Amino acid sequence: MGREVAESCFDGLIIEMVSAYGRRFYATKPDLASRRIEAIGFQVGHQLIERYTVERPRFSDHLEAIKFICKEFWSELFKKQIDNLKTNHRVGTFVLQDNKFRWFTRVLIDPSSEDNEASQGSSSEATSMLLHFPCGIIRGALSNVGISCAVSADASNLPSCESGILVFALKFSI
Amino acid sequence: MIACVAVVGHQNNPLYLQSFTGADDALKLHHIVHCSLDVIDERVNNPKRSVITLNESYLGLLYPTESYKVYGYLSNTKVKFLVVTTDLDVKDTDIRSFFRRFHAAYVDAVSNPFHVPGKKIISRIFAVRVSGIVKAFAPGTYG
Repeated sequence: MGREVAESCFDGLIIEMVSAYGRRFYATKPDLASRRIEAIGFQVGHQLIERYTVERPRFSDHLEAIKFICKEFWSELFKKQIDNLKTNHRVGTFVLQDNKFRWFTRVLIDPSSEDNEASQGSSSEATSMLLHFPCGIIRGALSNVGISCAVSADASNLPSCESGILVFALKFSI
Repeated sequence: MIACVAVVGHQNNPLYLQSFTGADDALKLHHIVHCSLDVIDERVNNPKRSVITLNESYLGLLYPTESYKVYGYLSNTKVKFLVVTTDLDVKDTDIRSFFRRFHAAYVDAVSNPFHVPGKKIISRIFAVRVSGIVKAFAPGTYG
């Protein structure tokens, strides 16, 4: 295939991108920073799904597309599949659970100059910033196959221990 | 020989249109491509009438006019690839491999971070690759 890059470079790039948008470009406007990060993820997902669905028969419905995201797309991106998929057909929501999210196993949130109460809030804020990027990727990938949805993510135990559980909730506007 | 190739986005917006005849009938070829979009829509939305299965990417011969044949291919992301050829006896396998290479070139062009999704493809490398694929397409040399 093409040329390859070390995974640690990629980890460093994501962490630096999120920190640049969150602390330097839009330091006073975290909403704008998160929307920009999500938009970057959107374009990346949009283009990646184009590449990963070549030579594949077309999806006949939403569930098949979601299953593709959970299996093949996730293994291309994160070298593993989604661990748990729950659906709620009536409401049009899907919940994807990943028990060991590869990108964030080495992220360190710096609690240095804050006191205890503030640091709790800021570490969860920092992780939610990081999560916008994969949410954007999923949203971009789905939108390119014709499914529009809103993606949100929730992380527990991240990044304090290696086995952070990440839950992505997809809400469809059917 | 291939008269024209086209890539059309999922809202029927043209992404790439290139004719290889050198003559002045580019407008006629564009019109043929435009009409074949309707045939694609019909094939995709009415699977019971046609023989094509719902999941196949390659759509086959869309319709033959008096001197041209139009073949179609639909990707998973609803991007349509069309090729207009003047050859009368084109093998299915040749066209399929043509579309495969065409799709691969398209994926590489779209992965360019400076390409805006939905706008026309302006990459020169893509144009060069497509002309290379068209030149290499010569049905009958394998038969």
